[in-house]
Amino acid sequence: MKSLSFLCAMVALLLPVPVFAAPIEFGASVQLTGQFANTGRYYGDAYRFAVDKINAAGGVKVGKNREKLSLKILDNQSDVNLSVRQYVQLVSQDKVNFLLGPFASDFALADSAISEKYSVPMIQGGGASDQIFSRGYKYIFGTLPPASDYFQSTLDLMGQLKPAPKTIALLYADDAFDVSVADGTRKAIGKASLKIAVDQRYSSKASDFNSILSLIKSQDVDAILVAGHETEILNFIRQAKTLNVNPKLYSFTVGVPSADFRAALGQDANYAFGMTSWVPSPAFKDDYFGNAEQFATEYQKRFGYEPDYHAASAVADVEAFVKAIESANTLDPAKVRDAIAKVDFDSLYGRIRFNAAGQISLPQTVVQIQKGKLAPIYGPKGLIEKPLYPMPAWGKR
Amino acid sequence: MQLLWQILINGVLLGGLYALMALGLVLVWGVLNIVNLAHGALIMLGAYACYYLFTGFGWDPFAALPLAMILLFCLGYLIQRYVLNLVIRAPMFNTLLITFGLEVVITYLAQVTFSADFRTVNPSYAGANFVWLGATVPLVPLLAFGVALGLTLALWLFLDHTRIGRAIRATAQNLTAARLYGVNPRQLYALTFGIGAALAGAAGTLYGVVSQINPYIGSGLTAKSFAIAIIGGLEKSIYVLVGGLFLGIVEALTALYIGPTYTDVVSFGILVLVLIVRPTGLLGRTA
Repeated sequence: MKSLSFLCAMVALLLPVPVFAAPIEFGASVQLTGQFANTGRYYGDAYRFAVDKINAAGGVKVGKNREKLSLKILDNQSDVNLSVRQYVQLVSQDKVNFLLGPFASDFALADSAISEKYSVPMIQGGGASDQIFSRGYKYIFGTLPPASDYFQSTLDLMGQLKPAPKTIALLYADDAFDVSVADGTRKAIGKASLKIAVDQRYSSKASDFNSILSLIKSQDVDAILVAGHETEILNFIRQAKTLNVNPKLYSFTVGVPSADFRAALGQDANYAFGMTSWVPSPAFKDDYFGNAEQFATEYQKRFGYEPDYHAASAVADVEAFVKAIESANTLDPAKVRDAIAKVDFDSLYGRIRFNAAGQISLPQTVVQIQKGKLAPIYGPKGLIEKPLYPMPAWGKR
Repeated sequence: MQLLWQILINGVLLGGLYALMALGLVLVWGVLNIVNLAHGALIMLGAYACYYLFTGFGWDPFAALPLAMILLFCLGYLIQRYVLNLVIRAPMFNTLLITFGLEVVITYLAQVTFSADFRTVNPSYAGANFVWLGATVPLVPLLAFGVALGLTLALWLFLDHTRIGRAIRATAQNLTAARLYGVNPRQLYALTFGIGAALAGAAGTLYGVVSQINPYIGSGLTAKSFAIAIIGGLEKSIYVLVGGLFLGIVEALTALYIGPTYTDVVSFGILVLVLIVRPTGLLGRTA
C-alpha cells in the first residue's frame, strides 16, 4: 500500500503543471497529411511561427493587459468534409476565440460557412477563389489576391514581349479556384484582343495530358496558361517535353515559386513562368519579423524548407487578427470582425487592407525560373528583370 | 488525321503502362481471390525505391527496376505470409477491409518517411523522343511499353509453362485437388502475392519516370488498375494487356474529342457497362 501511494506521488510529480489556456485562442484545420499536405504545411508552420513571434514580443494588448496567444491546429487529412467538422468542433467544443483558415479555395469555401453560422471571424490565407467572397458573408476575410486576377500581370507582360504572343491555350482544373482563374483570364484575354485557340477544362488529379498537349501542338499555340495543382503541372511540363511541345511561353498558377517543385523538375523547370503575391524582399517591413527577407531566413532555419507566398499570407492572417483585436480592444467576435474590416497596415506580406467583400488586393509579380533560380520579371511598376523569351525548343537547351 | 494518329500512339503507350499497373492486381485477385486495395500503394513504394536508387546511388531507372521488383517481392511475400494468410479463409469483405487498412498504413508511413514533397525520376533521356510517320513518339513511355509487354508475356509463360506456375493456377482453380497433389497453399499464396507486389514495383519504377511521385498517388492507381482488371477479365494475364490498351486509347480519345474532364467518367462508365454486359471481361468466356 505504501509503495502504491509512493508510486502515485511519483506519477503526480511527473505530470506537467496544469497549463491554463491562454485567453486568446486561435483554431485552424489544415492539411498536415493527405494529398495537399505539401502546401498545407506552410499554413500549419507559419501560423505557429507567427504566434510564437507575437508571444515573444509580449503578446497582444487588450485593455490594460497584454495577453498571450495560443493556437490549436487540427489535421483535416486533406478532406473537405472533415475540415468542416473540425471547424465546428473548434467553435462549439473547443470554444476558440478566432479562426484561421485552411489551404485551398475548396476548403475555404466550405469552412467559411461555419465561421458565418457561428459568427466567429475567420481570416484565411489559402483560398483565392472569387466565389468565397461573392456570397455576402461577413465573417470571412482572405489574404490571397482574387483568383480572377492571377494571370492579369502575365497578360500585361505579354503585351510588351517581342514577338508578341497572339494565340493562347487556356487549361484549368475543375475546382473552385481554377475555375475562377479561368473565368477572369478569359475576360482579360478578350480585353487584350488575343485569341484563345484552346480552352479546356480537365478533372483535378488528372495525370495524363498527352491528348491536350497533342492538340496544342497541332494548333501551334504561342502561349499556354495553366491553372491547376502542382502535381498536374509537374506532369504537364514533363509530358510537354516528351511530346516536344514548344510554345513561346508557358505560365502556371502554382508550383513555380515553390522550391520543391523546382527541385522535382530540375533543368526542365527552366523558362516556366508563374506568379507570386509575395517576394521575400527587405522592402516589406514587419513589426514582428523585421522584414520579409529576415522572415524567410528564420523560417528556412526553423522548418528546414523555403517559405513561399502561402507562408507569408498565413503570417499576415495572424497579424491582421492582432491588429484588429488591439484596435477593438476586446475579444468580442462581432467587434473584432468590424475591426478586421478596417485594418490597414504594412506586413512582411505587403499592405493588408480588406475590400468590402473581405478580400485583399495585391499585385501579382510575374516570376520565371531562370537557371534553376526564381527571378522576378514583371511587377506593378513594370519590368524588373529580363524575361527569357521566347523559350528555346526542348531539343536546343 | 495527323492529330488522331498522334493520339492513338499516346493512347497505346499509356495503355502499356496501365496494363503493367494492373497485372499484379489481376494475378493476386485471380489466384487468391483478394482484391488488393493496397496495390496502388505498392506501386507508390516501387516508385520511391526507384527514386532513391536513382538519386542516391545514380542507378539508371531501368537498371533499378529488377532491384525494385526484388524489394517489393520480399515485402509482398511478408505481407501475405504474416498478415493476409491469417485471414485467407475469411469472406472477401474482410480481406478487402484488411488491404484497405494496409493501404492507409503504407501511405501514412510513406508520408512520414519520404515527406509529402513531389519527386520525379528524371534521367537525362527522360524527355527524349523521335518522329515516326509524322507522330512524336516519346522514348521512355515506349521503353516502358516494352517492359510492360515483356513482363506480361513472362508472367504468362511462367504461369503456363513452369511447375510453380502450374501449381499456382491449380490452386486458383481447385484448392482441394491441388492440396491432394502436395501443393502447400500458404507458401504458394505468399509467392503469388510477392510476384504481384514485384509487378507493382516494376510499374512504380516506370511510373516515376513518366509522371511524378508522392505518397498519395496509390489510391488513384488502384482504382485505375481495378477498372483495367474488370475490363480485361481475370482469366488470363495476357488479357490485362487488352484491358490496359483499351482503356489507354479510350482515355486519350475522350480527352481530345469529349474533353479531358470526362476521362474518368468514360473509363468508369465502361467499367460499369462491362460488369453488366460481360461480367467476365471483354475477352473472358461468357458463363
